[in-house]
Amino acid sequence: MEPVIETFESRKKHMCVKGEGLSIPVCDKASLPGTVTQRTCVFGGARIVLMPITDSIHLVHGPIGCAACTWDIRGSKSSREDLYKKGCSTNLQEKDIVFGGEKKLFEAVLELHRIYKPGAIFVYATCVSGVIGDDIKAVSKKAEKITGCRVIPVQSEGFQDHNKTKGHWIGGDALLDYVIGTKEPEETTPFDINIVGEFNVAGDLWGIKPLIEEMGINIISTISGDSHVDEIAQAHRAKLNIVQCQKSSNYVAEKMEKKYGIPFIKVNFFGLEQTTNSLREIADFFGDEEIIDRTEKIIERELKGVEDETREYRKRLEGKTVSLYVGGNKAWSLVRAFEEVGMDVIMSGTKNGIKEDYERIKETVRDGTIIVDDANSTELARLLKKYRPNLLISGAKEKYTSLKLGVPFCDFNHDRISAFAGFRGFVSFAKEVDASVSSPVFNLASKTLSKSSKTPSNSGGDANAS
Amino acid sequence: MHHDKKFAIVNPSKMCQPMGALQALLGIKNTMPLIHGSQGCSTYMRFQLIRHFREPIEVASTSMNEKTVIYGGEFNLMKALKNITEKQSPDMIVVTSSCLTETIGDDMAGIIEKFKDANLDKELPVIIPVSTPSYVESHVEGYNRTIKALVEHLATPSVPNGKINIINGNLSPADCKQVKDLLCQLNCDSIILTDTSQNLDAPLTEETLSLYDEGTSIKEIEDTANSLGTISLSKHVDSAALFLEKKFGVKSISGHLPLGFENTDQFVTSVCELGDLEIPKSVERDRGRLLDAMVDAHSYNFHRKVAIFGDPDFVSGMTRFTAELGMTPSVVCTGTGSKRFKEDINIISKEKGINPMILAGGDLFDMHHAIKEAGADILIGNAYGASMAKEENIPLLRVGFPIFDRLGAQRISMLGYRGGIEFVDKITNTLLDFYYDEAGYEIVDEKIEEIIGEEGDEGFEEDFMAQEEI
Repeated sequence: MEPVIETFESRKKHMCVKGEGLSIPVCDKASLPGTVTQRTCVFGGARIVLMPITDSIHLVHGPIGCAACTWDIRGSKSSREDLYKKGCSTNLQEKDIVFGGEKKLFEAVLELHRIYKPGAIFVYATCVSGVIGDDIKAVSKKAEKITGCRVIPVQSEGFQDHNKTKGHWIGGDALLDYVIGTKEPEETTPFDINIVGEFNVAGDLWGIKPLIEEMGINIISTISGDSHVDEIAQAHRAKLNIVQCQKSSNYVAEKMEKKYGIPFIKVNFFGLEQTTNSLREIADFFGDEEIIDRTEKIIERELKGVEDETREYRKRLEGKTVSLYVGGNKAWSLVRAFEEVGMDVIMSGTKNGIKEDYERIKETVRDGTIIVDDANSTELARLLKKYRPNLLISGAKEKYTSLKLGVPFCDFNHDRISAFAGFRGFVSFAKEVDASVSSPVFNLASKTLSKSSKTPSNSGGDANAS
Repeated sequence: MHHDKKFAIVNPSKMCQPMGALQALLGIKNTMPLIHGSQGCSTYMRFQLIRHFREPIEVASTSMNEKTVIYGGEFNLMKALKNITEKQSPDMIVVTSSCLTETIGDDMAGIIEKFKDANLDKELPVIIPVSTPSYVESHVEGYNRTIKALVEHLATPSVPNGKINIINGNLSPADCKQVKDLLCQLNCDSIILTDTSQNLDAPLTEETLSLYDEGTSIKEIEDTANSLGTISLSKHVDSAALFLEKKFGVKSISGHLPLGFENTDQFVTSVCELGDLEIPKSVERDRGRLLDAMVDAHSYNFHRKVAIFGDPDFVSGMTRFTAELGMTPSVVCTGTGSKRFKEDINIISKEKGINPMILAGGDLFDMHHAIKEAGADILIGNAYGASMAKEENIPLLRVGFPIFDRLGAQRISMLGYRGGIEFVDKITNTLLDFYYDEAGYEIVDEKIEEIIGEEGDEGFEEDFMAQEEI
């Protein structure tokens, strides 16, 4: 079989075309040393699932760089506190590496508690705190005793695994071991749920929450977007967990099912059909006639107008192609939404996918779609050059690789500028996508001033640019 | 609430050594930076660099994981060198360490020798290790060590070249260009360590995705041993200059950043003395234009309190510049606990009759409390100052690294006479936008107006008191 693009021998099987024999790429392998990996570390994985807890201090136990490059990058919005946005570090120094950093950590926790009185202090282990053997569990326990504030150790040494998914699980473990089940709700209803794996990036949660509440469902907690730690502490009393980011958070939902008997359903609020189905599934789960009734009314009301509001965008987007190269979940959850604006997904890939993620992608995309695992920057550039999609969906690190090739780009990661979830979110989604795909600037890229001048080989924008 | 804080950093105003190493290496031609550490180091640093410069940036990683940490990083580093050599064929690979690989004690130089021995039959790139432990000092020291390592490995004496070496420190591409243009005006041949002016402000072409065509070349770095002298624009990055002075007798001059009127005068004087050059008319003219701009702006700037944070030489340069403008630096903060920084600020304070709060080794938490205490009408620093400025209701003039919430960070310039002119206009217009109305009148403090307007309203007075307490 012909490889999808030219690359290292060992990397060739990390890319495949759906329908041609191997429909799932080789995945979950360590990245090749010496390549420009788009992956991050286990610490990063744990930090992004916990960082949206807004009333908490997130203290990084390591040298300054680990905190300095990762504070306030989540793009996760808050309706209340902004403590989670602070960049806190123990700033380990050489002498701490030699003599151990536990004392400093302990003092830092007390100090931060004194200054901020947070809902909780999450203490993150890093590569170096792990190697020097600092016992963050013991320090957290001791500090918790003295302060009376939740001090939660997160065993997120960066080097633990090649896949940051492990970090998502470690973040989940911190909640399962130290938070969930530690507080009883004042009152419960028969319709209590948690929204799991919704991080409120750009305010996504706020496109969903009012709809669910209007249905007559009570949301105990969101794990972890726009949440307080005390709310998550009561999550064990829910009757149902709904999971939006299944990449990061199936783990937590599965564990909660095992431990507390809470069933979970996978939902997807990107796109009209997916949102509609998700709301119906929640209503059906409870089987309450009134809820089902209300849900149908909400869907009818919300869908009205969306068609009109997005017509203009859909007209321009019809038949355009899109490639997805994302952390995980969006590789399948966005596919239908793009189809609804008339676009064709020609490539879908993830940086940290595991086998079950690629099964999901395979189920979702049509035959002929390229499926890619852990593409490094050179490979990504080659894929874009070969297939020249009209749009790339990815994160900040991939943005300029795409733009320099004249391929329009939309950030669906932490730097997203508007909420895309739910019915109203779909309108913003169509608008944003149109703003990238249809911008005339990409047509200029193919114009040459003199015959010898160098420009991108062709435009990823309109086909009429030649 | 207690604001004294000794153990934790809250909202850092420094980064770690490998970041400084990358800032230096991005100005070198056809070179691949390789971080020997976890994937997160290269990925998160690239993330910061990419969103600041808005350019694709390539940094390879040895992608260390649990197994390789236990057995040492030799296998991964050898593999990384092989993969880069085969697939990218750069002129040079510069390997920087990280906290992880420093702590497990990987001998990078030894591993590199082993790699070379195993590949005697092949044409290999130049490979240089730099020790950049993240738990020592800051990114500024990472930059310093990287330039020193490059010069130590490469500088080779041959025939005098009549050039002046310039060690930049972490400048914006536009400022790097300002320095180059000024040297060009002075008819001074130079070697820039390192020249990011084109690499990090590139046009929309596919070529920008491969290793850099532009920037300082290995040949130029080799030639630094033959120069007339070295001027380190930043005092904190002068180790390479001192090495060249000691080993090859290349005279070293440390600082200041040519930021503002007097500092630029000093830089021009140093260049002309070293190179035995005349000051051309065009430079005199630019100098006069800067002075003209400063005079035009003086009444708006006079006694405005300014708070400044960032890299140490930038902050001390900016302290002098704003004081020259008649402003009053009230808080000056840098993330590194530098003695030289404090000395510089003390000298400027004495000269200019100012008395700023000095935070050396401070974070933005400390800075914010200092601003509450000493007051500020304007904040100068990177994008991380935005929330602080909003809370204090003062404008933030974005300069430094990183700037991710505005466009054009790569094009911000303030060095030399010409950059200085741009800066004077910008800071004055920022003040005009913020403190003056559309007719050009200074906006009177709203609180005072309200008090006059609502005299006798007790309810209001309480509100006002409450506001004050916040």
